[in-house]
Amino acid sequence: MSPRDPVIAAPAAGGIARALLREVAQLLKKLAEEGEGGSIDLRSLPMSDADRDEVRERLGRGEVRADLDVAGTSEVWETRYAGVWWIRHFGSGDRIAAEEIAVTGVPAILVAHRADIVAAASRIENDLETPPASGREEGIRNA
Amino acid sequence: MPDRETIGEALSRRGVSRRALLKYTAYLASLMALPPVAASAMAEALAKARRQSVIWLSFQECTGCTESLTRSFSPTIEDLLFDVISLDYHHTLQAASGEAAEQARLAAMKENAGKYVVVVDGSVSTKDDGVYSTSSGVTNLQLLRETAKDALALISVGTCAAFGGIPHARPNPTGAVPVSEIVTDKPVINIPGCPPIAEAMAGTVAYLVSFGRIPELDHLGRPKSFFGEAIHDRCYRRPFYDRGLFAKSFDDEGARKGWCLYEVGCKGPITHNACATVKWNGGVSFPIQSGHGCLGCSEPDFWDAGGFYTPLSAGTRRVGEVVAGAALAGAAAGVASVVLARRRKAQAAAAEASAKKEPTP
Repeated sequence: MSPRDPVIAAPAAGGIARALLREVAQLLKKLAEEGEGGSIDLRSLPMSDADRDEVRERLGRGEVRADLDVAGTSEVWETRYAGVWWIRHFGSGDRIAAEEIAVTGVPAILVAHRADIVAAASRIENDLETPPASGREEGIRNA
Repeated sequence: MPDRETIGEALSRRGVSRRALLKYTAYLASLMALPPVAASAMAEALAKARRQSVIWLSFQECTGCTESLTRSFSPTIEDLLFDVISLDYHHTLQAASGEAAEQARLAAMKENAGKYVVVVDGSVSTKDDGVYSTSSGVTNLQLLRETAKDALALISVGTCAAFGGIPHARPNPTGAVPVSEIVTDKPVINIPGCPPIAEAMAGTVAYLVSFGRIPELDHLGRPKSFFGEAIHDRCYRRPFYDRGLFAKSFDDEGARKGWCLYEVGCKGPITHNACATVKWNGGVSFPIQSGHGCLGCSEPDFWDAGGFYTPLSAGTRRVGEVVAGAALAGAAAGVASVVLARRRKAQAAAAEASAKKEPTP
């Protein structure tokens, strides 16, 4: 930091973390009892860094972590509470473009969409009909 | 892209997965303060929709609005906007020129009659039948009327198109007016700013395509999702305002400590925009974070609304009243002065409107 940079005290926790965790607990209870969860958009909440750290610390890390390479990168991890997922999408310049807590069995972003499966099925058929480049060379030599 | 192809089919053909689309809509839903579950609905709707035909008209403008839209996108989620729209006509960006360009506009209008969206940047010259701004011998006024006739909706991007902007500033030699004064029989969405935030433009178009309706607007025709709150309400320097801590100049101790810029002319309290949350240059900063007060560029007549370095408490427009020391007394007095400034601004606008109606003696 240069002497000309503004010196701004780090904002303290505003108390929103506890309220947010209560909401997560309610959504998880609903998922457990009714099979329907929900999501919380973290970007829209006026949270300080301290609030965010507190929520992240309280939820912790669970068994699953996924890195996505789709239109930039994304991180998804299950918290220590099964069914509670932290999803973070990065945009240009590796800035966080969207961040949410999803309470669900599997986040939709991880599930292969039917349209993609159909396209992939067609693609793999085409790929199998065309021998790989190395195979073609092998065939030429054998001939 | 084949004409009848849906966005989903086109993405699939290009090897772009539905995950990418879902990520894009999650990003837009977050920007527009929609519930996260809306992201899935938006993704499904977009996948089934055809690309939205967009005709972009540039009038009395500086091309800053186009720069804002195109420069902000790098090859990640944000540039998926160009998979959602079909930019059929744009002076600056299209390859065709001259007669071929005009033919492209007419063809898009004919093929998508009643369905295309007209985006306008720049104000419209009306004085002397609009002769002060023409293209190929056609005035902006004529072009707007002709193109808007069969449009689904119009989007005025930038303060010039939305409110008249700098061309409309006194003495307004070209008789510049906003689009909404010319087109009164179609929905006109205003995305003001000088320039406007690219995400506000992209989000509004994507919302229109996804849900087939215009987003909720405020009394000035701006989408509430981006313009619903004042810069001041979401400013990270707000706690200093509340504690009565103000920079008195741009090089004093208060400025170095990042205190509130209210007393050096910040217009954040009366300016509605998303700069404080979406920010600029890939979320790096916004004017207040860079040490300068907000100019109020997304509000009507910002250019004539008093000095950029004059505190709101000293009045806006030509109103000479001064609320002595309002901000000096800290939060309580500061809030009072903001309310007074807003009231004075409304009164001045009403007085000016009334003066316009009265015949000149």
